[in-house]
Amino acid sequence: MKYILLMSGTKAGVDGYHAWSPKDIQTHMAVLQRISDQLTKSGEFVATQGLAEPKEAKLVRGEKNGLPVTDGVFPESKEFLLGYWIVDVATPERAYAIAGQISTAPGPGGVPTNMAIEVRRFASFEQSGSK
Amino acid sequence: MKYILMMNTMKAGQGIPNWASKDLQAHIAFMMSLNKDLRDAGELVSAEGLSFPDQAKLVRAGKDGVPITDGIFPESKEFLAGFWIIDVDTPERAYAIAARASAAPGPGGAPLNMPIEVRPVMSAPPPEMM
Repeated sequence: MKYILLMSGTKAGVDGYHAWSPKDIQTHMAVLQRISDQLTKSGEFVATQGLAEPKEAKLVRGEKNGLPVTDGVFPESKEFLLGYWIVDVATPERAYAIAGQISTAPGPGGVPTNMAIEVRRFASFEQSGSK
Repeated sequence: MKYILMMNTMKAGQGIPNWASKDLQAHIAFMMSLNKDLRDAGELVSAEGLSFPDQAKLVRAGKDGVPITDGIFPESKEFLAGFWIIDVDTPERAYAIAARASAAPGPGGAPLNMPIEVRPVMSAPPPEMM
């Protein structure tokens, strides 16, 4: 079963991330890299990706004439996707355990961030365009 | 440049299961045709649909590292319903593809004109962060 683990945050939260020291960022990245390595070894890794900053986000809606309308104005409360992991696991519990591991990634001073990770199963009935 | 196009939905808006099967078929056919065109153009990296929000869980590690799951979300929360990752030459091309996805047909074949969030995906983190 494939699951996507979504790491989200508000724009204010992302601005806080910019205040981290380079050492804290390095430690954080190293832990995330180690988790990806372990998932690769166990054959559960499918993909991971970080997204560019919320300030680059646009919202597009098709108009009647088919031309795109873009808008970059979002409510302050909006949660932006910061990054995700796609894993292929035997049970939902295993997906939750991996999410728990990601959640403990260290923040400033090496203290676990305990950030919330949203766990969602891929639909099995819908179209899948993945190569 | 790689972009992710995200289709978000509110929990209250998950009316898709109640659509007439003909409308649902037309919607899925539209999405498959979009995916085929993107694949033929060499622009499709991946496309996935997610299961409905009622199955979503939020996981936070406790102090002992044991995951705590919770499926309670505020009513205002947007749920990711599906996404496309595309590899295109310009942001304008990403917006044009998003606009096409936005116009996917809904009940009675009327375009949904749903909002599609377009975000550049990051390239590899800078070496000094690794």
